[in-house]
Amino acid sequence: MELLKNKDVLSPFSRQLHKICMTPLGLAGLVFLLVVPLIPGVNAEYIMRWLTLAAYFAACTIIFDFTAGFINIVNFGFMAFCGVGAYCSSLLVIKFGFSPWLGMIAGGLLSGLVGLFTGVITLRLRGIFAACLTWFVGLALMGLCTKLIFLTRGQSGLSVPKLFESSSNIPYYYTIVVGILICFMICSFLVRSKMGLAFKAIGQNMEAAQTSGVNPVYYRVVNFVISCTLAGVLGGFYAHYIGILTPDILHTSRTMEVLAISYIGGRGSLWGGVFAAMPLMIGMELVRSSSSDLPGIHLMIYGVLLIIVMIYFPGGIAAEYYSLIEKLKNIKLVQWATSCRVND
Amino acid sequence: MIIKKLVDIWKKTGTVACVMLLVCLALTLGSAITRGPYLLVNVISAGCMLSLVAMGLALVFGVMNIGMFAHGEMFMIGTLVAYFVASPFQNLLYEEHPGLMVYLAPLLAVLAAGAVGFVVGVLVELLLFRPLRKRTKGNWVMNSFLLTVGLGIILVNGHQIIFGANYKAITKYLPGGAVDILGVYVSPDRLAAIIISFLVVIGFWLFMSKTRLGTAVRAVSQDETGSLMVGIDLPLIFTLTMAISCGLAAVAGATLHFMYPSYPSVGLEPTYLSWFVVILVGLGNTTGAMIGAFMVALFKVLTVEYVGSGWDHVVPTALIMLILIFKPSGIFGSAVRSKVDQ
Repeated sequence: MELLKNKDVLSPFSRQLHKICMTPLGLAGLVFLLVVPLIPGVNAEYIMRWLTLAAYFAACTIIFDFTAGFINIVNFGFMAFCGVGAYCSSLLVIKFGFSPWLGMIAGGLLSGLVGLFTGVITLRLRGIFAACLTWFVGLALMGLCTKLIFLTRGQSGLSVPKLFESSSNIPYYYTIVVGILICFMICSFLVRSKMGLAFKAIGQNMEAAQTSGVNPVYYRVVNFVISCTLAGVLGGFYAHYIGILTPDILHTSRTMEVLAISYIGGRGSLWGGVFAAMPLMIGMELVRSSSSDLPGIHLMIYGVLLIIVMIYFPGGIAAEYYSLIEKLKNIKLVQWATSCRVND
Repeated sequence: MIIKKLVDIWKKTGTVACVMLLVCLALTLGSAITRGPYLLVNVISAGCMLSLVAMGLALVFGVMNIGMFAHGEMFMIGTLVAYFVASPFQNLLYEEHPGLMVYLAPLLAVLAAGAVGFVVGVLVELLLFRPLRKRTKGNWVMNSFLLTVGLGIILVNGHQIIFGANYKAITKYLPGGAVDILGVYVSPDRLAAIIISFLVVIGFWLFMSKTRLGTAVRAVSQDETGSLMVGIDLPLIFTLTMAISCGLAAVAGATLHFMYPSYPSVGLEPTYLSWFVVILVGLGNTTGAMIGAFMVALFKVLTVEYVGSGWDHVVPTALIMLILIFKPSGIFGSAVRSKVDQ
């Protein structure tokens, strides 16, 4: 632990990267993500589609973890906030001829506004009550999207203009990889700032934080609004990628997927979800396509994994990785493998 | 002395509760012109069901500090058991001279559902929460809550995989037409559901207040360390609490099977509404949960009646948000912060 806290242990290259919240391994992962579409065989359209969706979920887990891992509020309406962004963006594009990029930003702003209202009311409550209220808000938003048929066309679905002209998945893939990077950067810079210190204090021990003069409600709301805004932007991307919107994208079961991946990856790590999302999502796609007679089996696997993680590995993959590093003897290896623990 | 007590109660429940009750009363009276009595019957039957589910939720929350997200899935298990026990007798029901078995079968279904729920509760405690309690150090509330999220996902999708996603329903439990009560026609099933839930609530109350075991449960909910000191077997109490609460939810599911056919996500509404109740009245308050259940049932029934069936997620959420603006700790909650605050 002491070893990790000491920044001198980092190699000069890592230290430079640490300034921009990156690590050698993180950089390697990013390069891997950028190179994947160039590998022949992998770049078949259906695999690229899976990868794009996996990357979308990875970006979602970063934002989800930003609230769940740091201020300890599980946002059960996460996908509903994504959906608000998605609907806002696509309606602006359809009705007023906005550019999809502008629409995505507007969707993020609306989602952030909804998040602000929700947050001001719910985040004064205890942790799980707040979680449940965000769930109710999510259900209410889904009900609204189903019922406001003159706007959203309800269950029959809204067809949305695509982000790019080409039908290939590659441009979408690169967009969302950049999206992952931006989300990660924003979240880790915030976590590293003075505000991030307050987030961590609230998440670990609210009484102590309050005694030290941290206003929990204020910081919780700020965190929640930031996360909702980013979620809205991502939702806009999803709408313009898939091309059709139904109220089902606001459904809780999709939030459950994000939740499961995020906790399997490791709470409070930000990168754990990204690491877990790729293999899990692709594995689940394989399971789903190979056992189509058993609908819901992939969700069941998520449930089992979530329970196992909760009981036996509460820190998820990230915590296992950190404890592995602490056992390493070779100092060179430690220098390279030590990731910037976002907490430091 | 009595006046002082009344003032205390007034302070505790707060003006908000009274205003809300008045509003609800006015709404009900206003609706009385056309379909009022029927709405009232709906509210009472929905409220009875909800109070069973919400009481279990509040009990688990108060005693074990677990926010049970999979509580509606216990309701789902109840409906499933009721279906498999009661449906073999359905043909008998439509014969001209139904035997005693027709009246016995629903009772059997409810009892079987309660028993299965009890056993599932014991299993959940032994297989999931006991290992978690041994291993977890901090953050118990959040970890156990997420554990129940996983449990809920498994139960819903397990139902879908094993029994299929179709509706498994029986049209009615009891033979005979609607019963005339003061000019209101109530189906015998609904009447039976109301009576059964009243009986169960009274039984639960007697157990909690009169027996040694019930007193022990209450003691644990007040102070875990203290009850350990006076020699209460904590693991036994935890197992019992979980089992009772799951059993209550399953009984509610079985009695209301004629309204809620069994399908994988049938538990969503009970989970959602009972969490509503618990948030509304404040944590771990079983008596409050009973009153809150009727309020939420009223919200829901009135919304469905006057706004439309798809809006019953939207309007009650908005109302509860409004209440929470004025009283964040719930209408019966105290401002004192507790250990589940994180």
